[in-house]
Amino acid sequence: MAVKIDSDKCGHIDNCPVQGLCIKLCEQGAIIEEDGDVKIVPENCDDCDLCIQNCPNQAISKA
Amino acid sequence: MFNVERSGVELRKLAYKDDKCVGCGICTDVCPTSSLRLGPVVPIARGLIEMDLVSCNADSCVLCGLCSVACPFDALSLTIDGEDICEMGNYPNWETECVVNEEECIYCGRCYKVCPRDAIIFERTLPDRQELVRGEISIDKDECIYCSFCADLCPAEAITVENVPTSSVDVLNNNIEVDTSKCVFCGVCKRVCPQNAIKEVCSTCMLQDEIKVPEIVGDTFIAEGSCVNCSWCSEICPVDAITITKPFDGTLEVIENEAEEKICKGDACHACQDVCPCNAVEIVDGKAVTNLDFCNLCGACITACPQHIRVLNRTAMKLNNINSESWDEILNSLLGGK
Repeated sequence: MAVKIDSDKCGHIDNCPVQGLCIKLCEQGAIIEEDGDVKIVPENCDDCDLCIQNCPNQAISKA
Repeated sequence: MFNVERSGVELRKLAYKDDKCVGCGICTDVCPTSSLRLGPVVPIARGLIEMDLVSCNADSCVLCGLCSVACPFDALSLTIDGEDICEMGNYPNWETECVVNEEECIYCGRCYKVCPRDAIIFERTLPDRQELVRGEISIDKDECIYCSFCADLCPAEAITVENVPTSSVDVLNNNIEVDTSKCVFCGVCKRVCPQNAIKEVCSTCMLQDEIKVPEIVGDTFIAEGSCVNCSWCSEICPVDAITITKPFDGTLEVIENEAEEKICKGDACHACQDVCPCNAVEIVDGKAVTNLDFCNLCGACITACPQHIRVLNRTAMKLNNINSESWDEILNSLLGGK
C-alpha cells in the first residue's frame, strides 16, 4: 500500500525542520534521498506508518 | 529544560528536568490549560532530534502545579516561594518506592547491571584471594629456562616471565616471578614445567578450618530521582532485597485489527521499544511483546505507536492526599483506558 508525500507540504529535505526526518526514521529503505529530494520506494514499505505519524509538516499519508 | 516563572503575591516557578522525563505525556494529559506539549517522542528517543520531550507555552501556563503533582518521575516541579509543593503536605504525593534492604543485599550487582536508567549506585569490596587459599610456591631460577609455559597456562595470571636475552649467554635480562596474591596453588605450572623448576604445595583442603567465611561489604543504593519504578532490579534480585512500588496498577495490551490493517510491524517499526523507559518491550517473532513485570504503565509507548494498537488500562494509582475535588477529577482521568 505504501505512502505518498504531498509535495506542497513537504520540506524537501532543505526546508524540513529535521532535514528529512522520514528518511532518517525509515529503517526499511522505503524513503530515500535522491537528487536532494525525498523519494518513496513502495516495494520496501512495510506500512508501519512511523513516517506518517512523525512528519513535522504532516505531508505524508497512505497511498 | 525549561522554567516558567511569575511573581505576584507569591513567586511561583515551574521547572522541567528533561533528564528525568520519560515522554509519557501524563503532564500533557492533566494540564488544564493545554499549555504543555509532548514533542516527537520517537525521533527524540532515536537521537534524530535534539529537543526536550515536553515543552510549555509560558503565556498560557497558570502555574497551578497539577503537572508537577501528576508526574510520577519527578520531571516537573512547582515551587512556591522556593518550596516544592510536593513537600508542603497539603498537595498530592506519589507513594512510589524503590528501596534496597541493606541487611538482605549480598552485593551480587545484578540489579545494577539490569537497571535501564542507570539509577543504581553500586560498589563492593571483595576479600583478597590470598585469604581464601593456603599453600606454597617457589621457582628455582637456576633450573628455569624461561619457556613461559607456566605463565601462559596460569589461570590466575600470577606468573610473569621476562625473557629478552641480548646474547646467547645473557642471563641478566631473564626473570620469573609469582605473584602470591593471585596464585591459588592449582599446580598447573608445576605440572607443565619441563625442568621441574617449580615447587608448589596446596594445603587449602587440609587447612580449610582456618579459612574464615569472607565478609563481603558494599553499598547498593537506588537514586530515587532517576528510578522509574520498572522493577527490573527487584525481579532479578536473588535474595528479594529490593522493594519497588509502581505508580500504577493495570494492564497494557496490543489489540490488532486486521480488517483495518492495524497490526504490529515489529522489527520494521519498534517505536514502542525505543521509547520505553523500562526496557520492557521485546520484539518476539516479529511482534512487540511487553513484559508487564517490568512495565510501569507510563504510557509512552501508547503515543509512540503509529498503528495506535496499544491499549493501556490503569486500574489504580499510588497518588495520595488529593484534597481538591477538581484536581481529584482531573488526576483520576489518568485511570481507565487510553
